[in-house]
Amino acid sequence: MHLFLLGVSHRTAPLDLRERLDFSSRDLGEAVEALAMRPSAAESVVLSTCNRSEIYVASDDPARAREELVIFLSEYHQLPPETFLPHLFVKEDAAAAGHLFRVAAGLDSLVVGEPQILGQVKDAFQTAAERRAAGPLLSKVFNWSFNVGKRVRSETALGEGAVSISFAAVALARKIFGRLQGRRVLVIGSGDISTLTAQHLRSQGVGDIVITSRTLAHAEALAAAVAGRAVPWEEMATALQTTDIVLTATGSQRPIITRQHLQGQAGRRRNDPLFIIDVAVPRDVEVSVGEIEQVFLYNVDDLQGIVDENLSRRTAEVDRAEAIVAEELSRFSSWRRSRGAIPTVVALRQRFDDIRRAELQRLDAKLAGLPPEVRARVDEVTRLVVEKLLLEPTEQLKALPDEETQVVYTDAINRVFRLRPDDSSAPTPDLSSPKAADRRTGDE
Amino acid sequence: MNLLPLVLYAGAGVLYAFHFARRHPSAGRSATTLLLFAALAHTFVIGMQTMEVRHVPFANPSRAVSTFVWLLALSYLYLELTTDERAMGVFILPVLVGLQVIPVVYPGMEYSDPVLDSPWFWVHVSSLLFAYASFALAAVLGLTYMLQFKEIKKKQLGYFYTRLPSLQILDVMNARAVTIGWSFLTVGVVVGVLWTAQARLASPDSPNLQAMAFNDPKIFVALLTWCVYSFALVSRRSMGWTGRRAAWLAAVGFGIVLLNFLPINYFVTTSHTFY
Repeated sequence: MHLFLLGVSHRTAPLDLRERLDFSSRDLGEAVEALAMRPSAAESVVLSTCNRSEIYVASDDPARAREELVIFLSEYHQLPPETFLPHLFVKEDAAAAGHLFRVAAGLDSLVVGEPQILGQVKDAFQTAAERRAAGPLLSKVFNWSFNVGKRVRSETALGEGAVSISFAAVALARKIFGRLQGRRVLVIGSGDISTLTAQHLRSQGVGDIVITSRTLAHAEALAAAVAGRAVPWEEMATALQTTDIVLTATGSQRPIITRQHLQGQAGRRRNDPLFIIDVAVPRDVEVSVGEIEQVFLYNVDDLQGIVDENLSRRTAEVDRAEAIVAEELSRFSSWRRSRGAIPTVVALRQRFDDIRRAELQRLDAKLAGLPPEVRARVDEVTRLVVEKLLLEPTEQLKALPDEETQVVYTDAINRVFRLRPDDSSAPTPDLSSPKAADRRTGDE
Repeated sequence: MNLLPLVLYAGAGVLYAFHFARRHPSAGRSATTLLLFAALAHTFVIGMQTMEVRHVPFANPSRAVSTFVWLLALSYLYLELTTDERAMGVFILPVLVGLQVIPVVYPGMEYSDPVLDSPWFWVHVSSLLFAYASFALAAVLGLTYMLQFKEIKKKQLGYFYTRLPSLQILDVMNARAVTIGWSFLTVGVVVGVLWTAQARLASPDSPNLQAMAFNDPKIFVALLTWCVYSFALVSRRSMGWTGRRAAWLAAVGFGIVLLNFLPINYFVTTSHTFY
């Protein structure tokens, strides 16, 4: 059984094509079920985000799987194959597993280390598992990828530090106030960054969000978007007295918050911290405000500087993350090889056990005089001898360093013992997917 | 006997430093585990000494330092296990190791003065040692607050920003440690005054008891310590001295505590020398 991957990502396809090949806007489960009709896909998982549409299948015949998946994509999205064929990428076995590990680790993301992708990979697998489309091989490789994602996040700083201005502002607020529950926010003016930041702050559980703007209608629109409260422009100074976080983005040509505003306030509010995020250009807050004890003033350049710094830190962690992926891929490949030897191991054990049983049967007349418990003991001892004889060869076969050596060894053993592992009645794990089992039941 | 805890504290200190630098979760867990073993070994040492002299060993300055280290280790472990915050370990462990060197190098002998055979004396000393442990934690929290404050205020988010807790958490924990420490300091001082008055009646000829007066450096500095921490509590509530000012007060206060606990205790005082 081979692991096979076919898909498009932000590295291979432009946005408009990715949009047309997107599965996430439609029912992902429906896509998985449609894939299950294809005979070459014994198991399947569809991973679809705004940056990628990837189909992972377990297949005995990768070449046929490729053809069928192209037809599937064409039919499902009603697109002629030539529109997307030049943008497709295809990977098999270790390369496919390595790609999935890198995706789960956030190494293949548009913004390296972004945290959502691991959850999206888990959701994709969960959808397939619920529809019994993820069998033993895909279950193993996806669960392995979750661990790779977790390892990279806990052992490197790849996912650390905000990489957008709005997230950087929220991260700073958390470093100043700890939990943001109940904190009061004042938004002055409106704009994309202040809207996004206010939304992030709301998702962190802040208390009252007061919005003011010279045009009250703008404030009311933003208040509706972030479950806040709009107040007239004249009430800005009053709102400033009780707030913890100020987010300002007006088009004013002169500062609207001065040192005089806050020094009076600081006396009244004693020494509580005040975090001011000034994303306006020109700035809304007088520079000297930042000199007041317990006032933390950040403008758009300061926040952009943090974002740039975080991005460069993440880039510096890429090598460590890649090393973890390589280590895990090597372990996964060893596991796969150990599974490859299983048909020979099963056949070998079957052959030895057959001989043991045949000999016991041949000696049945001579053993007939023995009490039943002694006969049971003889049976047990012969079984243990066979077990012990086969223990070392089994371990050696499973631990062979590469596929080529494994083929040579298993072939030699098959010849020496006249084994026919492919005909073995014992099912191997990779061949006993739920879908395969379902089909067998159906045939019956 | 004090060497084993010292070695274990040093080992835990290395692991805390490694955890702080690399932020490797397993290094953090190992550091906590080793510190737990160090505290257990130290408990065993203190227990052995208690069985030997039939009371907790803190009448001799070196043994008092060892008991202080033990209490600080337990207090820190309590803080870490209840907040799941390991970043302070890298600052606390050097204090533990540095102070634990003293009882290893100067083991000293426990007192033999019968005037100390009073339960009030033990309440006095144990309250003060626990207060000092709380002040040590407050000082470390204050120091980490200042490091974090400096980076955020100057907009140079670097090494400490990602590793230390938020300013608010550090400030709240500092306030809590100072409040607990001040309560025990007050109990310790009041009980000390009452016990001295009682002991003077029982042993009017004891030179130590006669020296118990405000002009004795140890007593004077102890009262100064009480004043500093009282000011820290009052200024926080009525003058808004939170954050960086509270952090400075905690650091200065513990500086005075250390001054009283080590040089004054060893070389200057004439009142607290029962050995």
